[in-house]
Amino acid sequence: MQDLIELAISATAGGCIYALLALAYLVVLRPTGIINFAVGDWATVAAFAGYLGLSRYELPWAAGMPLVIVLAALLGWVTERIAVRPLVERGAPVLAPILALLGMLVVFRESVSLIFGPDPLPVPQPLGYGRIEWGLIAGSYQSFFIMGVTALLFCGTWYFFERTLAGRSFEAVALDRKAAALMGINLRRVTACAFAAGGAIAGLAALLLTPNTSAHYLMGIPLAIQGFTALVIGGVGRIEGALAGGLILSFAEQLTVRYAPIPAGLAQGVPLVLLIGFLLVRPQGLLLARGSSR
Amino acid sequence: MNHPKLTRSARALALSLATSGWLLCGLAPAQAQPANAPIRIGIITDEVGPAKAYAEPVTLGAQFAAKEINAAGGVLGRQIELQIEDDQGKPDVSATMARKLVDANAVIILSLSLSTATQQAQTVTLETKTPHYTPSNSGDTLTTQLNNPWFFQSGPLGSTQVATLLSYARAMKLKRVALITETSALGQLTNRFFKEGLIRNGIEVVAEEVVPGGASTAEPQMQKIRAAKPDAIFLAGVVTPENVLMLRAYRQLGLKMPILASYNLSVPVYMNVAKGLLDGLAYVDAFDPAKPELQKFIAAWRKDHAEDPNGLHGYGYDGVYLVADALRRAGAVDKEKLRAAMQSTRGFNGVMGAKGSSYTFPEGKRTGFDESGMVVRIYEGDRQGKVVHVGTN
Repeated sequence: MQDLIELAISATAGGCIYALLALAYLVVLRPTGIINFAVGDWATVAAFAGYLGLSRYELPWAAGMPLVIVLAALLGWVTERIAVRPLVERGAPVLAPILALLGMLVVFRESVSLIFGPDPLPVPQPLGYGRIEWGLIAGSYQSFFIMGVTALLFCGTWYFFERTLAGRSFEAVALDRKAAALMGINLRRVTACAFAAGGAIAGLAALLLTPNTSAHYLMGIPLAIQGFTALVIGGVGRIEGALAGGLILSFAEQLTVRYAPIPAGLAQGVPLVLLIGFLLVRPQGLLLARGSSR
Repeated sequence: MNHPKLTRSARALALSLATSGWLLCGLAPAQAQPANAPIRIGIITDEVGPAKAYAEPVTLGAQFAAKEINAAGGVLGRQIELQIEDDQGKPDVSATMARKLVDANAVIILSLSLSTATQQAQTVTLETKTPHYTPSNSGDTLTTQLNNPWFFQSGPLGSTQVATLLSYARAMKLKRVALITETSALGQLTNRFFKEGLIRNGIEVVAEEVVPGGASTAEPQMQKIRAAKPDAIFLAGVVTPENVLMLRAYRQLGLKMPILASYNLSVPVYMNVAKGLLDGLAYVDAFDPAKPELQKFIAAWRKDHAEDPNGLHGYGYDGVYLVADALRRAGAVDKEKLRAAMQSTRGFNGVMGAKGSSYTFPEGKRTGFDESGMVVRIYEGDRQGKVVHVGTN
């Protein structure tokens, strides 16, 4: 039983990272229709910014974390200005910015590799290295920190989209861009804000993950795949879907490795089988957008 | 003034001559080099792909050796010149780069990239009869998958690593062990050699786990290992972030059985990214601080660099010096003579390997690392500590 609870805490923490990455996709995808695979490498850049701020210059987490998130938001905004807006303004099809963002992914990855070199670099644990044991409940400080920060972020994001006028304008653009524009919503601003928010969320995911894994220039692609899988599972309609998708993916991964009577190599394929299953059975994802009929 | 007009056939002839001339310039092999031109050694490395972290320091070591050799007068009265090409860790690109280096008149090609890339590049060196050598790859199958008499390998083999670790572990009287690795090709290959060696020695593998690339935790894998109650864990992974996850999960779950790790744990980056996780870990290494040749290399390196060298630099350094030695014995810049000289290398003292070990390519074999030339070291705190075992006996 203790094994299971220990694993549940580890899987929840891993699921929170996937959920944040899925949310980074979702905040861009909903208002723009653009699948942004560069989220993984936004996270990479933020991870190295975290190394600089928190390891090399030894800033306290309370100062370093907001700084890195602001930098990641700026990165998202700059990405939109140089790789997306020029194409959208020229009336390029939606595939064009997706391909441009794939190109940006390579630019980010190689820039990081040139600046920091190929070796992984450490990011310190915000609460230090240690473990909480409370009855059967046991897990690392970092696992609980990840869960707490993710819960706060999802609550804040939910409040923004559901209870504020700015958030409702995002939702209006997501439902019908042309109608939203006719109602006076500034599409350019919404798009720029969506990319900045996506960058900030991906940056936060990286900051939470790298104390466990280290910052590495090749970390972006796996993160992009995991976030996208969580997004597909949860559905692109609602932010709760991103959270659900991340948790389902992480639990599927970890429970399979731990308990499924299959060779270790095959266990890695389970999340992809899950992805294919969701695409076949429920292509719209777990949770539907409000106003959707199916 | 009127210019005489070219007839259509004359224009066609001129065009065809110009085109064929251009094609010939592009396709013809490079001209033979002048007698005093530098001796060109081709290097295939990985500057952007998955092997970059390892290939880059090996390449730096090779460049340092070339610089020293040239400063000392070169080889056969000529300077040596390294032509470095990037294969991005991709086998197909590696083969293309090999062909480019053959066309550029490289007398030998050093592969410093992934084992799979080196394997693919051999198809070109076999066809073009070009000496080909990897001083750093450790895959056991590189000299056996293809019968390529032009290819040589002096990186410590996976089988040598496991034999060294097993000989160290013999005193521990292990009966049941767990294996853990990650998904890279070399990690899988190392794991296979570990497993075969363990089974050959009558040791039961009670758990075999794999941490996928890009994972965010290794706790489920370590939980399974904990449940299997092994006497020790053999860590065969060669990718640093995944290995760090394994070590973190091991500490997190409070496991106490010893870890015996592959040579990858000898890379100094662990002392930086796995702080607090390394104490007591045993790992196999080819870097013996007691070796005089190594001490000399470290002293020379320090004069030129801000940081100390590590084993990866040593592999590249040894590689270029071994080639220079073979060139001297060959007596001429000739591929067949160089191949024969490489094959007849006996007792070449490099900086890598245990004190007293050397490189030899016995007749009929093209793997040159001394089978008793590896050591086992122990991490003391976060520092790479003393040698606790040498060789396979």
